Amino acid sequence: MINNKVKIKTTNLNVYYGDKQALNDVNLEIHSKEVTALIGPSGCGKSTYIRCINRMNDVIDICRVTGSIEIDGNEINKKEIDVVSLREKIGMVFQKPNPFPKSIYDNVSYGPNIHGLAENKVKMDEIVETSLKKAALWNEVKDRLNEPGTSLSGGQQQRLCIARAISVNPEVILMDEPCSALDPIATAKIEELMDELKKSYTIVIVTHSMSQAVRVSQRTGFFHLGKLIEVDTTEKIFKNPNNKMTQDYITGRFG
Amino acid sequence: MNKDQLLKKRYRAEKRFKFYGLVSITLAILFVIFLVNVIFSKGRAAFQRTTIAVEVNFNTEELELSSNASIEEIQDADFYDLSINSLLKLYKTEGAKQEKELLRVFSPDHDIEIKNFLIKNLDNLNKNVIVNLTTSDDIDQLHKGNYPRHLPEERRRISDFQLLIYDQLVKENKVNKVFNTFFFTNGDSRNPEVAGIGGSLFGSFFTIIITLILSFPIAIFASIYLEEFAPKNRITDFIEININNLAAVPSIVFGLLGLGILLGTFDLPRSTPLVAGITLSLMTLPRIIIPCRASLKAVPPSIREGALAVGASKVQSVMHHVVPLSIPGTLSGTIIGLAQALGETAPLILIGMVAFVVDIPATPIDPSASLPVQVYLWSEQAERGFVEKTSATIMVLLSFLIVMNFIAVYLRQKFEKKWS
Ligand SMILES: Nc1ncnc2c1ncn2[C@@H]1O[C@H](COP(=O)(O)OP(=O)(O)OP(=O)(O)O)[C@@H](O)[C@H]1O
Ligand SMILES: [Mg+2]
Repeated sequence: MINNKVKIKTTNLNVYYGDKQALNDVNLEIHSKEVTALIGPSGCGKSTYIRCINRMNDVIDICRVTGSIEIDGNEINKKEIDVVSLREKIGMVFQKPNPFPKSIYDNVSYGPNIHGLAENKVKMDEIVETSLKKAALWNEVKDRLNEPGTSLSGGQQQRLCIARAISVNPEVILMDEPCSALDPIATAKIEELMDELKKSYTIVIVTHSMSQAVRVSQRTGFFHLGKLIEVDTTEKIFKNPNNKMTQDYITGRFG
Repeated sequence: MNKDQLLKKRYRAEKRFKFYGLVSITLAILFVIFLVNVIFSKGRAAFQRTTIAVEVNFNTEELELSSNASIEEIQDADFYDLSINSLLKLYKTEGAKQEKELLRVFSPDHDIEIKNFLIKNLDNLNKNVIVNLTTSDDIDQLHKGNYPRHLPEERRRISDFQLLIYDQLVKENKVNKVFNTFFFTNGDSRNPEVAGIGGSLFGSFFTIIITLILSFPIAIFASIYLEEFAPKNRITDFIEININNLAAVPSIVFGLLGLGILLGTFDLPRSTPLVAGITLSLMTLPRIIIPCRASLKAVPPSIREGALAVGASKVQSVMHHVVPLSIPGTLSGTIIGLAQALGETAPLILIGMVAFVVDIPATPIDPSASLPVQVYLWSEQAERGFVEKTSATIMVLLSFLIVMNFIAVYLRQKFEKKWS
């Protein structure tokens, strides 16, 4: 069950927003084809961490990232890296569903389109269909692909965003609290989906729900005030953590 | 104070507030009604022209034309004598003074009017036909009921004899009111009864087109660059402040700029829509950039992040997602900016667009007037005919502005509805 191939490895990762340090020497290994959950109190730097992996922090002017981020052993935290091809490999699903205000079809086909993944319409239809199927949304939307993505319910929108992320066939999917805006049924669907997706993708998920971390992840990292306090198999973290703070957090004594 | 009193106080405050609001809105509406009413009641009459039916005999021999004359031949012919003769037949006159007074009942260019009638109706050659000729401004006003005919003769511009003629012609049912197409097709004139806004319509049209062509693309690229690509540093802050300042610069300053640089340094032709368009572009640019940037800024960042996260480049995320979403705001901002430019007078006066131009401009480098300047020019004239034409021009200008603003609102609503 536990996979030992390291997909992503960060060493001495420090992130600053202006003068404020948001991450402090984070050393973390994320293993291939499993779900890694990141937990910790609000403001501890979980989002900041996963946004480093696809260099999304580049967008923020005041953000500075130092240290090493390796993907399959290749350093990506350097200027020469082409962020566009990096982000093609590393998909992201945001906390709030953010479908494009275009049709459902266009939402999914946008990525393959700009990367030239489909040489014709038939191939594109196929990509859209498989992506929507993998995101467990196909049956609900197959008759209304031309309707705007924004007309779907919150949970459907989030699955549409997942379909959009997997449409370019990434290796890693980063999910920042993907279920925080969803009801339990939609949440269950997405969790089921992650179980399925982890067979082919490496998944990193930020979550505030301990039970969700237990249900979906194989490995869990606990952050506090910009530091990675402890990382281990999910079983170990939730049954018998090494650190007192981790223990307090998962039992709800702070956070 | 107990709870009950507090509650009552709150209700009273709410009522008072609503009352203030109602009063202000009522006042605003009353002002608008007043304004529209003043303009409308003054300007309405300008859309009508008084004519008198005159019998004209287009005898080719008298006109020294061949019996099947071509249009060119007619153009070159002299209709003056024919015209005078036809007019003098209307009423019996004694002596040169009365003849002159009879002719003065009509607009001075009656011979040209007759010629134009024949050119339009070539089959009337060698026939006796009734032509409706424009009256002079005074008779026009008299017929519209605006002329003080009870005053003693020496204080009137219409003589007693002319009044006699007029009353007789009215009795004979020869005086008519027709829709004043001249007002839309003619250029400016010293004679209010034939003066029109044709020239200034074209002038304004060319000006606005040039303003649009120059300012729209520049404003769009400037706002996209500033909003999406420019680094945030002192230089861009400085640019930002200056754009806001420029939008607040009084328009006459841009007129001075146009006068000094476009006419002075570059020696472009005076009084032309080209110079007016460039000058107004300078003025309109910041006024378009500001709403464009606002509508770009209003696109939620999550859309940009969504695009970037599937591997769109910065340019792709902006062009594919941000710009399309900002289109309604951008377009309505542009249209409102252009509407402001359309009504702008001061800078045009400085670049010489106040010249008296009779000809209708065919290109943007012909001298021309523009609608607001036409209002300004006519408002200085004393003749009643110009007074009503001033208001009528304002009505035309206002209707253009209203239409443009409606289009702006419509575009915004139409595009915004589509996705939300
Ligand atoms: N764009 C930004 N500019 C400045 N500071 C930021 C920015 N984004 C995050 N921070 C700061 O960095 C720290 C970490 O934020 P981050 O969003 O990573 O927290 P988080 O663990 O994801 O919290 P939450 O669980 O509430 O989402 C916070 O103190 C936050 O104030
Ligand atoms: Mg977060």
